[in-house]
Amino acid sequence: MEEKRIGVYVCWCGTNIAKMVDVEAVAAKIAKLPNVVIAKDYKYMCSDPGQEMIVKDIKEHKLNRVVVSACSPRIHELTFRKALENAGLNQYMFEMANIREQVSWVHDNREEATIKALDLIKGAVNKVSYNEALDKRSVEINPATLVIGGGVTGLSAALELADAGNKVYLVEKAGNLGGHVANIDLTFPGLNSAAEVLEPLIYKVNNHPEVEVFLNTTIDEVFGYVGNFESTIKSGGKEYELKFGNIIVATGLTPFDPGKISSYNYEKLPDVITSLELEKMLKEGNVVKKDGSEPKKIAVIHCVGSRNADYHEYCSRVCCLSALKFSNQLRSALPEANLFQIYADMRAFGKGCEEFYASTSKKDVMFLMYDQQCDLPRISKAEEDAGYEMGIEFYEKLSGEDIIVPADMVVLMVAMEAHEEAKEVAHAVGISLCGNEFYIERHPKLDPVATTTDGVYIAGTCQGPKDIPDSVSQAKAAAARILASIARGTVEVEVTTAVVNEDICCGCQTCIKVCPYTAISFDEEKNVSIVNEVLCKGCGTCGSACPTGAIRARHFTDEQILSQIEGLFSKEMQEV
Amino acid sequence: MEFEPKIVSFLCNWCSYTGADLAGTSRMKYASNIRVIRVMCSGRVDPTFVLKSFREGADGVLICGCHPGDCHYHEGNYKCLRRYHFLKKYMAQMGINPDRLKLAWISASEGKEFAHLADEMAETIKSLGPCKVKDEMEIFD
Repeated sequence: MEEKRIGVYVCWCGTNIAKMVDVEAVAAKIAKLPNVVIAKDYKYMCSDPGQEMIVKDIKEHKLNRVVVSACSPRIHELTFRKALENAGLNQYMFEMANIREQVSWVHDNREEATIKALDLIKGAVNKVSYNEALDKRSVEINPATLVIGGGVTGLSAALELADAGNKVYLVEKAGNLGGHVANIDLTFPGLNSAAEVLEPLIYKVNNHPEVEVFLNTTIDEVFGYVGNFESTIKSGGKEYELKFGNIIVATGLTPFDPGKISSYNYEKLPDVITSLELEKMLKEGNVVKKDGSEPKKIAVIHCVGSRNADYHEYCSRVCCLSALKFSNQLRSALPEANLFQIYADMRAFGKGCEEFYASTSKKDVMFLMYDQQCDLPRISKAEEDAGYEMGIEFYEKLSGEDIIVPADMVVLMVAMEAHEEAKEVAHAVGISLCGNEFYIERHPKLDPVATTTDGVYIAGTCQGPKDIPDSVSQAKAAAARILASIARGTVEVEVTTAVVNEDICCGCQTCIKVCPYTAISFDEEKNVSIVNEVLCKGCGTCGSACPTGAIRARHFTDEQILSQIEGLFSKEMQEV
Repeated sequence: MEFEPKIVSFLCNWCSYTGADLAGTSRMKYASNIRVIRVMCSGRVDPTFVLKSFREGADGVLICGCHPGDCHYHEGNYKCLRRYHFLKKYMAQMGINPDRLKLAWISASEGKEFAHLADEMAETIKSLGPCKVKDEMEIFD
């Protein structure tokens, strides 16, 4: 057997790891482990010089296995695997020890964190000793794409792909295309008609020879893998078998239900409405109270369900500008009305937006600030002879006074939530949700439209609150990623599938019963199980059911994991 | 010196490991006793891995998978659940307190829940004291 020559690299991640883990001591101690030829610590392993160091060491010290102890493998495993490949080493001869997300960021005792980091690295060193070189498998890409969601994001993505000559299946749950933008009157900051943006997109999609639109349709389940997905959908009473190579999820958002905040009395007081209801009135050109009369005093309350630990901690990003837009529209529609903006912080980022804020503030609009840390504003019915309908009571932060703002109409700027069916879609296509039910991207900065499932991309507000330009950018970015893979024609897929050692397989067929993908069949003649590597997704369930150890889950074999466990407890250099 | 247990934790790649990472990115602090081993699916957790952990000196073992119905591989977590119940019985017969083994469902969004679970598990194992399997097995070595 070839000599094991392991290189271990301990990342500082600036101070992210180094402040809580004594990285220099860890590297020095790991260097003394058997088979470890070299152990180094470095400021940023993922940087170019960091990766070059690995490549150089592999060549110079004839390393045949590498451990990088840094962030989560979810972030940079692929980065370092590529570095190995650049050095001519099989990329599976690599392990990561996660000492940032699971050590330095979650512990506050430096000594304990350092001991834990050492343990995890010892485990990784043990595991990598048993890693085997695996060949990448290449599969052909079906150039068709499934786009889920027919809002501005889904439409933009579909056109980008179809204009390049590729088939697109666009599936929309509602009975019409356009999503939430279809209900918007004007866009900010240019006050242009939203229909000007949307209608040409819908027209092009509906008339594009490469786009097939399915309305009133949902995706229940998707089978297959990158390059070769398939799904059966029911649309208009017919069943369609769709085959496609990639998926873009653009399921969008659901508006926050302001009924959850009792002090706003939404649906109890007739003229407390949501931003979406006002959009509808503006679109119809008829801003009136429930009794049909014209409102004389209109107040807009910001951050309804956003930036508040009781509802959503995040900022919904578009409400401030939408609220300013409303002031502009209301000022033209009702020149005599008193307009109030009751805001928590004015966040006018983005091209032309701060300028828009400045110009709106000159239009006789009163800006009042409330404090999210104190009580939220309370809306109540005014006295019969007050001359206005409602009073909005709150602590005005800038003046430091408790005030009551008179209003005939109150507009609640409701937060963006992930789509109510985000979870079902995630399950159907095999992607994950992060804290607030928005989808998780593969890397928040370096790979924001990809997911951890190859061939499945996310775009628009299903990934997090955003405005139209950002949604369209993501749609086109996702389409570009897919176009690149179509242009290559093939894609490399994980080969961490199961494999049967026919010599020790006893033919009990237990593995066949536990396999969720019917990827294992039985060879009657040889009396052994056989794994279909195309169907196998590498979950390893068969590996833990096999009574003889004949079936091995590649890259997570019994010996790799058992040895990793031993590593965690090895007494070598336990003292710090 | 206070007893600081070592707990081996098997986390599935898709939900629980991501959830544990989220605890990190959210900078939630929890007990440092847990040593994570990543597997693709909780269904990969061979009972041998759990017994091996105790044999090597673990005071507790925590397995986490996706919530029922959410498994990336459809049903690996259910298989894990069956093995878990079997293991608990087996551990009792072997003289290991079954409370030293815990199975929990942690989704990718449950960073807070993972941090809480890690603390809770550390407390449970601290109250049980050190696991003596390793020392007792030395006799046979």
